[in-house]
Amino acid sequence: MKFLRKYSTIIRISLQNAFVYRSNVLGGLLFYIVFIFVFFNLWRAIYQSGKVAGYTLSQMVWYLCMTELIAFGCKSNVFRQMNEDVKSGSIAYQLNRPYHYIIYQFSYTFGGIIFNLLIYGALAIVLGLIMVGPIPGFQLSLLPFGIFSAVLGILLNFFFLMALGLTAFRLEDNTAFFLIYQKLVFMLGMFIPLEFLPGWIQRIARWLPFSYVTWAPARLIVAFSWDLFRQVVPMQLLWLAVSVLFASGMYNYGVRGLQAHGG
Amino acid sequence: MKKLKNILYLIGLYFKVNLASAMEYRSSFLMQAFGMALSNATFVFYWWIAFSQIGGRIGGYDFKDVMFIWALTSSAFGASNILFANMFRITTIIVTGELDTFLLQPKDVLISLLCSRTALSTWGDLLYGFVLMALTHGNDGMVWLMFLLGIVIGGLLMTAISVTAHTFTFYFGDASLIGDIALEFIINFCIYPEGIYRGFVRAMMLSVIPASFIVHIPLKLARSFQPGLLLILLAFAALYCFIAYKFFYHGLKKYESGNLIITRM
Repeated sequence: MKFLRKYSTIIRISLQNAFVYRSNVLGGLLFYIVFIFVFFNLWRAIYQSGKVAGYTLSQMVWYLCMTELIAFGCKSNVFRQMNEDVKSGSIAYQLNRPYHYIIYQFSYTFGGIIFNLLIYGALAIVLGLIMVGPIPGFQLSLLPFGIFSAVLGILLNFFFLMALGLTAFRLEDNTAFFLIYQKLVFMLGMFIPLEFLPGWIQRIARWLPFSYVTWAPARLIVAFSWDLFRQVVPMQLLWLAVSVLFASGMYNYGVRGLQAHGG
Repeated sequence: MKKLKNILYLIGLYFKVNLASAMEYRSSFLMQAFGMALSNATFVFYWWIAFSQIGGRIGGYDFKDVMFIWALTSSAFGASNILFANMFRITTIIVTGELDTFLLQPKDVLISLLCSRTALSTWGDLLYGFVLMALTHGNDGMVWLMFLLGIVIGGLLMTAISVTAHTFTFYFGDASLIGDIALEFIINFCIYPEGIYRGFVRAMMLSVIPASFIVHIPLKLARSFQPGLLLILLAFAALYCFIAYKFFYHGLKKYESGNLIITRM
């Protein structure tokens, strides 16, 4: 109980901070609107030739609203924070505080994610409705399953970023890992659905974690099917477990080699 | 004319010093430049998929046209950041009082302010544009000429946009939000075919959001050269930069020093 109270306080503080920095929120919302507006125009031009890879224009716009929602919702400083904490040595001061470093970072980021999802979620719904109207064939009763998948996507993204950030314990410059990871998430689902990619890339992508961050939940929300749900959710759970193990493994490995020199 | 020559000389000197400083950290420099080029390259994949889905043209542009606007946007952004990296920090410099240091220097304040920092990673953006052009346009002389001209004009326009946005800090107290997003907004309109937009947005792209002048008009000129259009492009770019320059100095009159003591190493 005490454990929960401690970390829920951190979540609350993070939420309060998110409300305080209103100009950041406003900037993010404006960006989100511009992204969706530009992509809407682009896909409208592409769809002048009709239906592409099984998606209608309406589904495509909602798909992008969802992937961008997850991208903006996932947005956190966790990679940069890990890097800074390790390189500046400030992690040494956090290790003897009465919390677990990884759970603390998770709780702090989680508060921001809740805030982002609420704000951007409302905006995504408004933009989607204005641009293309409701999702064709959408059933509200199936939405919780899409949301569940989105939560799994956000969590596995968070733990992978954390693990990559923690490589700073052993590597001088780990930015390349971050860039490669980020681009793979972009390419394998965020900007274009997996179904648009050549068959051989799709087959490989379905075994990798990157598509399960945005593609799986967005596809489930715009065109739900139980078959797809049964395929993607176990994979998300599997990759989530791997990412958690990876992050905690990197943390334990890094802390063992940590040398604090006072100051 | 003499003032312009002095400004160019000053920019050249800053460039040499900044480059020498960057070379002290070669591995970091190469890693950042490579990372940025790799990051940009993923969008080639995106467009390849988009064009393979529909074939033909999107918004009046074919694959090579899109690669041209991508290459030009990337290189212009890279060039402006290599030379004028402080354009993203103007608000911070004003708000923290660091501007005092630049006011005491005997050279042009805005130019000194803009040039006193470089961004290592943007070398990757600059080089990426050249590689992309070489891969997609081979040795087509007119296209390369417009590409090179576009880098100069686009780089100056991007800098002018950023300066204008940050200058609002002199008037409102803190324009970091406008400053941070202004250029990224405009870049978003540079990297997609002009034909996907209609009416009002197209008009904006030819005025307040000068994306058309940064990439789309150079592309038109590369496709079929028209001297009149080139003159309009040059005149617009000169006017935009002049207004941004004057706007900054008008705002500067409102600046009040906080007597901050800073050492520049």
